[in-house]
Amino acid sequence: MENIELINIWKKQNAKIEKTLVINKLLLKETIGRKAESTLKGLVKLKTAGIVSFVFYLLILGYALLYAISNYSSASNYFIVSVSAIALINIKGFADYIKHLAWTKNINYDGSIMEIQKQLSRLQLSIIDHAKIMCLQFPFFTTFYLSDNWFPQNVGLPYIIFQIILTGSFIYFSFWLYKNHKPENLNKKWFRNLIAGSGGKSVEKAIEFYREMEEFEKEN
Amino acid sequence: MNRNKTDNFLNIIESNKGILYKVVNSYCRNNEDRKDLIQEIILQLWKSYDNYNETFKYSTWMYRISLNVAISFYRKENSRKRISNSLTTEIFDFSDTEIAEEKETNFGFLNQIISELNDLNKALMLLYLEEKSYKEISEIIGITETNVATKIGRIKSKIKKEFNQLKNQ
Repeated sequence: MENIELINIWKKQNAKIEKTLVINKLLLKETIGRKAESTLKGLVKLKTAGIVSFVFYLLILGYALLYAISNYSSASNYFIVSVSAIALINIKGFADYIKHLAWTKNINYDGSIMEIQKQLSRLQLSIIDHAKIMCLQFPFFTTFYLSDNWFPQNVGLPYIIFQIILTGSFIYFSFWLYKNHKPENLNKKWFRNLIAGSGGKSVEKAIEFYREMEEFEKEN
Repeated sequence: MNRNKTDNFLNIIESNKGILYKVVNSYCRNNEDRKDLIQEIILQLWKSYDNYNETFKYSTWMYRISLNVAISFYRKENSRKRISNSLTTEIFDFSDTEIAEEKETNFGFLNQIISELNDLNKALMLLYLEEKSYKEISEIIGITETNVATKIGRIKSKIKKEFNQLKNQ
């Protein structure tokens, strides 16, 4: 089969397409009119469940914090510090997540395929980098219930040791997670399960495609 | 919306509708997803229309955007949920035209083989069949002309082999 024959088969079909394909101009106009919808609105619809539950969680944290501050007593010092840290980490993680989704959604596709696809894959992968900050909140879940009224002065040595071991192991665990939260670990099952909620599947696809592109670029 | 701008844009789409049809048809076998993909491509074309660089032909611009959108389409999650307002009718009438499904023809065979190529090779082959020069293909894809030539040669041999196998079945 000659090259020209492949092209002729294709061209013959093109002629038919040009002749018979009907374009619905009204619908086309309606489609470009929708462009006016804000990106954020689109994103909110896209990830509604996740975003709504996140906002709800932040509101609860905010309310608890506000309540503790407005009814301040030294007994709530641990609570205020811990919940503030948890809230700040979550706000930062959430803002980064939204920012990255918006970047991904707003990317300009008018560039060479390799350039744009690499950019897209890198953006998807950077969601992992920014999601890892969430790991840093875990130690604060072991301190928010403590109170100046009874800790450490009114508890025995065993409880103090227990608390130190508990908080210490959470610090170690969260630091370990933070350090290991990287695309290179995508082949590990525990990591895939961990990031499943923050778009793990698309991150996996992004990595796979990135490798495919690198292979494609090689002149061999 | 500026009326002149909209009309010009619609005319460009109308005169290059074949490009959109072929890209969507090659990258999307599912009828429902096609509606979403065509909508997404048109939105991206409209979005970058203001910054259209006149040193490139309209066809090059359209190929670049539509291929980029099509390639990233299936990497996103939940294909049907990705667009906030999915269309209920189609911008292109895929089903009523006589070109929609031609399985037992040369074009049907060729189309089937192309749809089985990976995303990047598919883009390369589409552009080759459209008789784009190696220079233009290298600009659209973003690899060197030598690499374009090597890869096209390899894919063509593969296609010819599979084409003959399919025809003889």
